[in-house]
Amino acid sequence: MSRHRLGPHTPAHYEIRIERHLDEHWSTWFDGLTLVRENDGTTTLHGVVADQAELHGLLAKVRDIGATLISVTSAEAPDQVGDGPA
Amino acid sequence: MSTPVLATKLFTPTPRRQLVARPRLVEQLDSILDASHRLTVVSAPAGFGKTTLLSDWLSQRDRSRTTSRVAWLSLDDGDNDLPRFLTHLVAALQGVGLEVDVGLLESMDAASNSVDLTGLVNDVTRAGEHAPEKQWVLVLDDYHAIGAPAVHEAVIFLLDYLPAQLHLVVATRSDPPLPLARLRSRGQLTEIRAADLRFTQGEARDFLNRVMGLDLGTGDVQALDERTEGWVAGLQLAALSLRGISGPDEVAGFIKAFTGSNRFVIDYLADEVLSRQPAGVRDFLLRTSVLDHLTGPLCDAVIGRTDGTRTLEDLERGNLFLIALDTQRSWYRYHHLFADVLRVRLLADHPDQVPSLHQLASAWYASHGLVEDAVRHALAAKDFDRAAQLMEEALPDLRRARQDSVLLAWMRSLPESVVRRSPVLSIVSGWSMLMAGDLDAVESRLDDADAALAAGAHDQGLATTWADTEDLRTAPATVAVYRASLAQARGDVAGTVRHARRALDLAGPEDHFIRGAGAGYLGLAAWAAGDLPVALTTFAEAVRSLHEAGNLVDELDSTVVLADMWVASGRPSRARRLYERALKTATAGNEPYPRATADLHVGLAELDRELGDLAGAEAHLETARALRERTSITENRHRWYVAVAQLRAGLGDLDAASDLLDHAEALYRHGFYPDLRPIPAMRARVHIAHGDLASADEWARDHDVPSAAEMTYLHEYDHLTLVRLLLARHRSMAGRGEALAGDPSPLDDALALLDRLHAAADPNRPGSLIEIGMLRALVHHERGHRQQALADLDRALTRAPEPESYVRLFLDEGAPMLALLHDASHHGTGEHDALSQHARRLLDAAGISQQTAPTPDQVGLPDPLSDRELHVLRLLDSDLTGPQIARELYVSLNTLRTHTKRIFTKLDVNTRAAAVRRAHERRLL
Repeated sequence: MSRHRLGPHTPAHYEIRIERHLDEHWSTWFDGLTLVRENDGTTTLHGVVADQAELHGLLAKVRDIGATLISVTSAEAPDQVGDGPA
Repeated sequence: MSTPVLATKLFTPTPRRQLVARPRLVEQLDSILDASHRLTVVSAPAGFGKTTLLSDWLSQRDRSRTTSRVAWLSLDDGDNDLPRFLTHLVAALQGVGLEVDVGLLESMDAASNSVDLTGLVNDVTRAGEHAPEKQWVLVLDDYHAIGAPAVHEAVIFLLDYLPAQLHLVVATRSDPPLPLARLRSRGQLTEIRAADLRFTQGEARDFLNRVMGLDLGTGDVQALDERTEGWVAGLQLAALSLRGISGPDEVAGFIKAFTGSNRFVIDYLADEVLSRQPAGVRDFLLRTSVLDHLTGPLCDAVIGRTDGTRTLEDLERGNLFLIALDTQRSWYRYHHLFADVLRVRLLADHPDQVPSLHQLASAWYASHGLVEDAVRHALAAKDFDRAAQLMEEALPDLRRARQDSVLLAWMRSLPESVVRRSPVLSIVSGWSMLMAGDLDAVESRLDDADAALAAGAHDQGLATTWADTEDLRTAPATVAVYRASLAQARGDVAGTVRHARRALDLAGPEDHFIRGAGAGYLGLAAWAAGDLPVALTTFAEAVRSLHEAGNLVDELDSTVVLADMWVASGRPSRARRLYERALKTATAGNEPYPRATADLHVGLAELDRELGDLAGAEAHLETARALRERTSITENRHRWYVAVAQLRAGLGDLDAASDLLDHAEALYRHGFYPDLRPIPAMRARVHIAHGDLASADEWARDHDVPSAAEMTYLHEYDHLTLVRLLLARHRSMAGRGEALAGDPSPLDDALALLDRLHAAADPNRPGSLIEIGMLRALVHHERGHRQQALADLDRALTRAPEPESYVRLFLDEGAPMLALLHDASHHGTGEHDALSQHARRLLDAAGISQQTAPTPDQVGLPDPLSDRELHVLRLLDSDLTGPQIARELYVSLNTLRTHTKRIFTKLDVNTRAAAVRRAHERRLL
């Protein structure tokens, strides 16, 4: 219950899950998010996203390459990653 | 029109010679031309064949009949700028024979990013009425590029009001924020979505075998269709991969490997396709992917080869996702999805090449005079110094074309440190802050400009990075002009004068624009201080300089100021001559007329009204209304509403006057010109005329009017309003029998105030003196001091430079003034001879304007309709909706309801239809 509310201008860690395996080179395209090909045939992109506007920009990129979006989740913590202001 | 139109954005894509026929979708599209239908949304991810389907459908329609025409607009990020979007929208509509007035775009307000689209809707509606058999289809392709609320609002407005003959089709990757649910529930929406666009097995077979020339068996087709999920971009890539494969075993092997792989379809297939291209072609594809638009010579410049044109033709023939943007096939673009695939590979394989490719593209565009593209690529290369230099060079053209929105976007795109190094761009940035109303930021940008200039004086290296332009040479003087404008906006008259003088000192004899601006601010400062003789000479000099500078619009703007000054000098006829001459200049050419033309009509309307020529005033205001959206400058836009409000107030329609003043107040821009007729005070005068003294008292309290001790010109209008309030207060007390002899009366306060106003206005403001004298006469008259009243009236009229130019000033004071004039007209001969003549002239004018009101047949109505109510009634007898009528009358919907309720009561009916019927019966219509 100690979870912080996310604000629209707060950086947060996000995980974007996409159908199928994306090649590694998309990582640069998605502003340097870490790209992991999962065993279940999906790809996760994760990393710290500066604010909601950047998140929507990333989702638009998923849309623009015609990939199928499965889920978007936020993890607690920019400070866990040690990146950006808490 | 300021924004250049890019023809490639309006090009309806030509469908490929060979296509998969999709009758189920074409049929669905045919049905959207029904009259009740409003919107079609083709919504699916990239590569689903949205554009192909639409262009195929449209070309089939073209062949089958000629009554429908297609306006096509391909949107991109730049269209989030409302002026640019509308410029291209208007061009697209004009391209299919819809006569839409481009003047609409002149009225765009870059700062507030708003525009009134009523004119556009009216133009299209009219065109539709002329050709009732015609249908138009407007396609907005790539609508997902739009994120700006202002553009969405414009589209929603068009969707609501465009006539049924025009059908809107939106192709997009994500559902647009348009009122889809509402349209869907009314059956006015057609949706074609990914599930509809997906290729069935039959379509996939047709595509792979016939269009792409393969020879695949049913099982292979099924496998590919399933693996790509009917996604045509995937099918096309698969087909391109298979083209290079011969032999059934190899084909089977490819399909097995592809369907067995878990890789993203595009990754798998793009690798296959690219690896099968000759090295030269692959290299060409990757490196030209930085370009949004491709043409042979540009490609050559970017990759350092000479076969660009031929390669592009080969790629198009080979179905390699290249789309022609014109019929000559000189410009192309890659399919968006394919471009992304190429770019991501370039970025991954050769990240170091990307900036230099952009720099080469920037250089090519710059050498071909396409500055906006050159800047875009320089920014993409993160070569901000080059971008800054390109902007500096482009400034004069951009400013001449008034491409404010481009300038604003450029300022946002540069890092602050780069802007600060450039004196010229610091000034532009200051201007952009001025547009945003952030005065403190303006000042710091001007400081940056001065600091950069000082640094450049010592550091030749820095100075050589600046584009050598006129703007740079005149930068010090321009900074002074801006500082003057800043001081003026802050009401700092002394600062305005100081900086304006400095600008004039720094300006060369040929720097007409700066001379004009400097003299202009000096003139405005003198005007604000009430020194009309100095204001007039200085400002006239400003206008001359602006004329020398060839700046017609600013010259017309200044005409309005100069005319105001002549009015304040008691010389309305000089103001009239100025307006008439400027109007002649402005309308010498063809439409669209220059900005500010409407403002000239508004000025003439005010002069006509003062003379009691209400018909003349109405005519000018009607012309101004037709021109207004297009040719009124922002600083003057409220004046039309003020003028109409005065006219309505004079006719006793105080509700309308009050509503109009609300509009005026919303449009009023502070800081451009001295606020010499504050709108709250005008409203207070309407309240006073209405007998609503409580509201007027509230105004006086809120604005602290009585205690404004200084008799400055900037407070004069407030003070003259207060005098009227005091008069009204006295009358109301007298009416209730409260005025006891010996008590301090409001009239004493009024007289004291008038004495001080007179002292302040004498001798520089004859225009004020006639009003002050007239009010003094009224106060004395109210007191019963007949001789003093007549003497004041006499002085006011006979000392005025042109007393015959004033009518409404007197008559607007109503019955007490008429009584006084009556008295004066009988006063006889001798020393008051001139007075009695003036009085008779004014009484004649009063009689005439009483008789000019049209009197339709109102026999048998217990309570006759007012002029205003008759006007409303005429509009009720039209197809306009309530909100449209309210807009037409410039009143709120509530006020309109009050009017209609009163009309219904007077005609003894309950509905609009019954009211119209009754009005016809009684020949009121």
